[in-house]
Amino acid sequence: MAGIPPAPSPGVVAKKPARRCAEVCLELLCAESVRLFHAKQSGPAAAAALEAVGYRVGQQLAERYTRDKPRLGDTLEIIKFVCKDFWQALFKKQVDNLKTNHRGVYVLQDNGFRWLQRLSPPAPGSDPGREEAARQLALSYLHLPCGIVRGALCHLGVICTVEADPKQMPSCTFTIRIMA
Amino acid sequence: MGIACVAFIGPQNNPMYLRSIDPASDDLYMKLHYVIHCALDAVEEKVLLKRGPGDSQDAYLGLLYPTEDYKVYGYLTNTHVKVLLLLDDEGAVKDEAVMRVFRRLHGLYVDTASNPFHKFGLPLSSPRFDAAVDGVVSIYRGAGASQGGFMT
Repeated sequence: MAGIPPAPSPGVVAKKPARRCAEVCLELLCAESVRLFHAKQSGPAAAAALEAVGYRVGQQLAERYTRDKPRLGDTLEIIKFVCKDFWQALFKKQVDNLKTNHRGVYVLQDNGFRWLQRLSPPAPGSDPGREEAARQLALSYLHLPCGIVRGALCHLGVICTVEADPKQMPSCTFTIRIMA
Repeated sequence: MGIACVAFIGPQNNPMYLRSIDPASDDLYMKLHYVIHCALDAVEEKVLLKRGPGDSQDAYLGLLYPTEDYKVYGYLTNTHVKVLLLLDDEGAVKDEAVMRVFRRLHGLYVDTASNPFHKFGLPLSSPRFDAAVDGVVSIYRGAGASQGGFMT
């Protein structure tokens, strides 16, 4: 730090120590936002609103997390960035499996998706109705992360749609379809 | 002397921020706009030329082109935001120092974009951002140009 001039001009803010926040706060915020949006609007409207919130957050996070990276070249590199660095920063782990058909569809599989770990899965062998209900509930919590991923990808130049499918909680697959 | 103008250009080549560091007349602003506009072609050219299989590219593009009055330097972020600097240095310009200025400006942009009231694609109009840009520019003028830079 020896090179910093002794009297910084007023515009330059001194570096603050990094502030920390308990992770449970984020989990509660995500859960509560889903509840709130579903209480205010119903069905598709709430999903779209959550997706829009996520989209915006994704844009900002992409801006921040790519700051110190060398330039990302093609689509695959951008997807790989999202699977590795972005996932790590957001969900504390990397994507477990990435599949592609080389025609614009990428399937990201996460075997322990962080934001689903607080939902209790239906008991094994319970009737299909319950399982379907649990799936629908999990889906409502996935609109926000889908929006975040889509926001990040679109902001990096990959125009796409993102769909999530919770098969067996807490594992989850995200399907990215690139718009031609 | 040093930085004459700082410009941020959005992904669709939409101007987001253009500022002459010294107070400028309308005519001079037109000229700056013109120089910046021409530089956008140079940015595209650089990006296409540099593309090789498997080589990672730096955000810093280096000297784009010199005009009579200015040297135009460019920087391209991962989110396709172009940062352009117009330098009116007579002598040699140290790449290191210019790169540091770009890094700082990029950091400023990221911080500004993280503001919940910021709208992507619209011009940056924040007095705090203006002041911070001034700060970066004055550090370059004070130390960067003569001694080869400041630490980031």
